[in-house]
Amino acid sequence: MTAALLGFAAVFVLALLRMPLAFAMGSVGFVGLGLVRGWPPTMANAAQVLFDTGFAYTLSVVPLFILMGNLVARAGLAHELFRAAYALIGHLRGGLAHATVLACAGFGAICGSSIATAATMSKVAYPPMKQLGYADYLSTGVISAGGTLGIMIPPSTILVIYGIVTETNIGKLFAAGVLPGLVCAGLLMLGVSWIVWRDPQAGPAGERATAAERWAALRGIWGVVLLVIVVLGGIYGGFFTATEGAGIGAFGAFLFAWFRRTLSFAVLRDVLVESARTTAMLFTILIAAQIFSSFVNYTTMPGDMKDWILHQGFTPLMVVAAMMMIYVLLGTIMEELSMVLLTIPVFFPIVVGLGFDPVWFGVLIVLVVQVGLISPPVGMNMFVMNALLKDVPLMAIFRGSALFCGPLFVGLVLVLLFPQLALWLPGFMK
Amino acid sequence: MKKLLVGLCGLLAAAALFGIMGLTFMDVMGRKFFSGSIPGALELTEILMVVVIFTSLPLVALNGEHVVFDSLDRWLPAPLQRAQQAFMEGFSAAAMAGLSWLMWGKAGDLLSYGETTAQLKMPLGLFVYVMSALLALAALAHVIVLLSPVPVHHMGVPDEGRAP
Repeated sequence: MTAALLGFAAVFVLALLRMPLAFAMGSVGFVGLGLVRGWPPTMANAAQVLFDTGFAYTLSVVPLFILMGNLVARAGLAHELFRAAYALIGHLRGGLAHATVLACAGFGAICGSSIATAATMSKVAYPPMKQLGYADYLSTGVISAGGTLGIMIPPSTILVIYGIVTETNIGKLFAAGVLPGLVCAGLLMLGVSWIVWRDPQAGPAGERATAAERWAALRGIWGVVLLVIVVLGGIYGGFFTATEGAGIGAFGAFLFAWFRRTLSFAVLRDVLVESARTTAMLFTILIAAQIFSSFVNYTTMPGDMKDWILHQGFTPLMVVAAMMMIYVLLGTIMEELSMVLLTIPVFFPIVVGLGFDPVWFGVLIVLVVQVGLISPPVGMNMFVMNALLKDVPLMAIFRGSALFCGPLFVGLVLVLLFPQLALWLPGFMK
Repeated sequence: MKKLLVGLCGLLAAAALFGIMGLTFMDVMGRKFFSGSIPGALELTEILMVVVIFTSLPLVALNGEHVVFDSLDRWLPAPLQRAQQAFMEGFSAAAMAGLSWLMWGKAGDLLSYGETTAQLKMPLGLFVYVMSALLALAALAHVIVLLSPVPVHHMGVPDEGRAP
């Protein structure tokens, strides 16, 4: 127990000293296991983890979904999603902000990363909002909050990796993310309505589109709709596995980008290399976290914690709520994937021991990560916006994002209290 | 040196990822519609995954893309910050070199046991030597960054002047 606690403390200290999180987890895990178990088995274990994670067929789902998202982003599809959403509801007060939420949700159905969704949408949605005189806090807040739908609405990189390390069915996790994702989108739109009700100058209405314009805008997104139906429909329907679906999705996105003439050889190479780099960054964390968890699992901590919590007579809901609080705190110094992988060896046995569905817990983790991504002063999405929109003061981004933490937090509480929101759809899968 | 490393690793990573995409697509199509999968598609994908991940490690290092907690940077005096970065790059280089050495040993073991892939009977040890060599390149990349530091780059955020 003490050894593992010291290990966790060491990871945080090293992270605060600016060691890359992967190297902090990996080296602490390696040294820790070496001290409690001896060096030769520790070295063999590290080599085996690298070998197994490198040669893993199921993990090819990660780069394939990343590639799909990047190809679609490069094909300029985000523009069309935004145009279609705007044609439908742009005439409302705060219409561009509502359209941004819808477009983020649509883009989230192809892209599994919140940072990529926020980065893409800030290029697409910010200029028109600026032009129409939107307040910076509303426009940047809605983009950074909408961006978090990227990890909730399937596909989702974090759910894929959660599924692989906890051996939970990825298709079910994806199905479980659909309703909470839509609920979050609805709550964000309520948030927009509330903001423009209090401050009507923040989001003036746009022009009403004619029926012909709406039809034209909707026709522009048939490609993305088709891609989503084939990939997610195929996975839900059990027609193919998540890995196969990702391969088909990436190939479909490639054809799509190709026919739209957005792919030169150089652009294709760039997209591929960028996706490969993101993959390698994620895998470094994954490998390091596995080395760390072989250390934690060798200590008595996961068992001790589980026994202690199960015998204290806490209500199960209290335990899960406490875990969510821990994630909020950890989120202030850790990146989301590292934080999830770091805590899984301890939290997961408890969750299963309490009789909860791992699918539900996965969705909760994503929801709490969503809140973390936009809570000042450390949420990653806000820094993405700050890097991309240089003329917007950071404080405006902080203010807008903080306002939208509320709706996402309500979403988290709803799924915490009503697990059916997450578990109803996957119930139909075999 | 840096250019050669970026060009070579980038090309290999791109080709391997494109290969995984094409292979997965054709394999599924073949299985679902033409009642025949590509022989060894699974293990080819695994080998290509190794190429994608490990050729990209030097690139991630050169771009400063490993996730770090850098919110404290604003409050740290510049010289201290430089020393800190240099130390962390040095540490990362050592860690990568250590892993490279571990995998070199593992490769030798696998070759001596005569371990091969299941269907195509390719010697696994060879690919683990490749892993080991690429980890050594990643260590080299961290040394390059140690000597000429790059700013931290958050994944997914395009740089100035770089295509998104």
